[in-house]
Amino acid sequence: MTAAESAETTSREQETSALKGFDTQRAALYTVLLGLIAFYLSPLWGGLTTAFKTDTGFLQTTPLIPPTPEWFTLEPWELALATMQGGLVNSMLFVVPATILSATLGSLAAYGLTKLSWRGQVGILVIFLAGVFLPYQSVLVPLRQFWSAVDLAGLLAFAPFLANRADLIELTITHTAYGIPICTILFRSYYKTMDDEMIEAAKIDGASAFGIYKRIVLPLSMPMFAVTLIYQFTQVWNDLLFALVLVTARSNYVVTQSLNELQGSMAQQYNIQMAGAFIAALPTIIIYIVFGRQFAQGISGAS
Amino acid sequence: MARLTLDNVTKRFDDGDDEIVAVDEVSVDIDDGEFLVLVGPSGCGKSTTLRMIAGLETVSDGDIAIGDDVINDVPVQRRDIAMVFQNYALYPHMTVRENMRFGLEESTDLSADAMNEYVDDTATLLEIDELLDRKPSELSGGQQQRVALGRAIVRDPAVFLMDEPLSNLDAKLRAGMRMELQRLQDELGVTTVYVTHDQTEAMTMGDRIAILNDGILQQVATPLECYHRPKNLFVAGFIGEPSMNFFDVTREDDRLLLDGTGLEYPISASIREDLDDVTDLVLGIRPEDVEIVEGGGGEHDFPIQVDVVEPMGNENNLLATFEASDRTINAIVGGMRHVRSGEQYTARLPESAVHLFDRKSGRALHNRQIDEEEKLLEPHI
Repeated sequence: MTAAESAETTSREQETSALKGFDTQRAALYTVLLGLIAFYLSPLWGGLTTAFKTDTGFLQTTPLIPPTPEWFTLEPWELALATMQGGLVNSMLFVVPATILSATLGSLAAYGLTKLSWRGQVGILVIFLAGVFLPYQSVLVPLRQFWSAVDLAGLLAFAPFLANRADLIELTITHTAYGIPICTILFRSYYKTMDDEMIEAAKIDGASAFGIYKRIVLPLSMPMFAVTLIYQFTQVWNDLLFALVLVTARSNYVVTQSLNELQGSMAQQYNIQMAGAFIAALPTIIIYIVFGRQFAQGISGAS
Repeated sequence: MARLTLDNVTKRFDDGDDEIVAVDEVSVDIDDGEFLVLVGPSGCGKSTTLRMIAGLETVSDGDIAIGDDVINDVPVQRRDIAMVFQNYALYPHMTVRENMRFGLEESTDLSADAMNEYVDDTATLLEIDELLDRKPSELSGGQQQRVALGRAIVRDPAVFLMDEPLSNLDAKLRAGMRMELQRLQDELGVTTVYVTHDQTEAMTMGDRIAILNDGILQQVATPLECYHRPKNLFVAGFIGEPSMNFFDVTREDDRLLLDGTGLEYPISASIREDLDDVTDLVLGIRPEDVEIVEGGGGEHDFPIQVDVVEPMGNENNLLATFEASDRTINAIVGGMRHVRSGEQYTARLPESAVHLFDRKSGRALHNRQIDEEEKLLEPHI
């Protein structure tokens, strides 16, 4: 055998052994991944099958078994939707403005804290940081007292439509205020990686501080807006605590409150509750799908 | 277009309790239309000086004036300057056209048509008119460089500032852009301050160069004057590639003793006059002035052994050691000359090419002889 031939054989041998090692590795990887998928999805799957079963069907089968035609029903969804309709609308009315407001204000604040220089920045930043760590529970009482003292419904008496929705406006303002710190911190880390020379170039080009924000920083912030919008939307949409404290009129109940109402006082109707849970989760899922691509960009820091 | 004056400009930074002086009383007058290169090693304060002119840093002391107006307190936006950054700093979400229009939109009241006309004219001048609708991410480094330049030129400012604009380009492109930048600056006639750490750029591009070290201005002069008549050791060592050879020498009447070698270098009366009574000196000689001869025996000839030969094609760079010591010397000989490493030669250090510096202060006491001095050193502005 010549040297060239033997070299060829060894390289081929190496190739096959490499392929074999590759295969077992792959197989192990997929097994673990499939196991994790099953682990994470089984509760969701159980909930979904339950929501399509009649009461008897739920009681007589294990939750993970799909509904047979005998026990299949859409009734839980109809009932849940009927109860939660108002809540869904009310939630939309305050979650969308609260999300957009806190993201926008957070972005502006972060811009001021990173790309503009002025005295006392560190102090302000510390206050923002503290805001992130303030637990919801600790502010419930002062929050209630504050909104009792302000009497928003009274102030809005000139516009009955708004006055009737005063609870929701209170929620909007509260959630905006509560969301600004985390949005500011998120935007701040993003803006810190933004090229300073580019900002300086814009300054030399004659742009004012706000002009730079509007024409340079804001258009380049879209991935981070996707992150904060998704985060804030989910956070505010899923909140029950502030709603319980601030919403008094039944007509203003938000989605989490109406979901809570599905819980019967005597009999637990699991199928309706599950259907309700899925209905309540639907808007956040839609938001994830719509902003998903930018979300991934924002997380990875690519601009 | 205007004259730019720096009068005792100083920049101090606070570093905890310490105060760091980044730029120390720098004074330069830059004529209308002049191309001044600010050069020095990293951390010498050249970029800080540029940023003070731009208004991106405050001035601790002294005045900066464009024409007769002191601009210390004029905000960046109203200084009528344009700057080209090292990493170009283009706006990534805008097309080339939008990048170039941005400055016009923010600083003038021109109509959209007029702005587009300016952009088109500048793009044609820079040969980037084909790229106007592309985004910066779709351009090569050289093209981005041109767009950054275009963004500055289109505004027709009083002063151009350039912060190492060529350092991100590869060597070939850089040499081409060097020529082109000079041509453009000649054509536009805009006062320009150009910062670089590259002495080749400084030598080739500047009408005059200003050499900074540790925040202190060392010399402001034409490139050739800095090269042939350096004011001190730092300038002599910084300008020129490969750098000047330096030897510590001690004067003993009409001879210089090369420390640590036992070698002697006789000096004539004309040089002795320049030296006052300083005895601790540094002798400097540029590599291209060192002659490699065979035989020798003259009073300025020294036996050497060639250690390394770097053939460059047009010339050979030599590293050699003086016999009976560890002192090395760089020399350049013609590319056709055959020099072998490991062999003995004689190095002739002609007295006419020698520089002498005060070892303590670094001040130049004697510079080399120049034939037709005025012709060579007069500015070519």
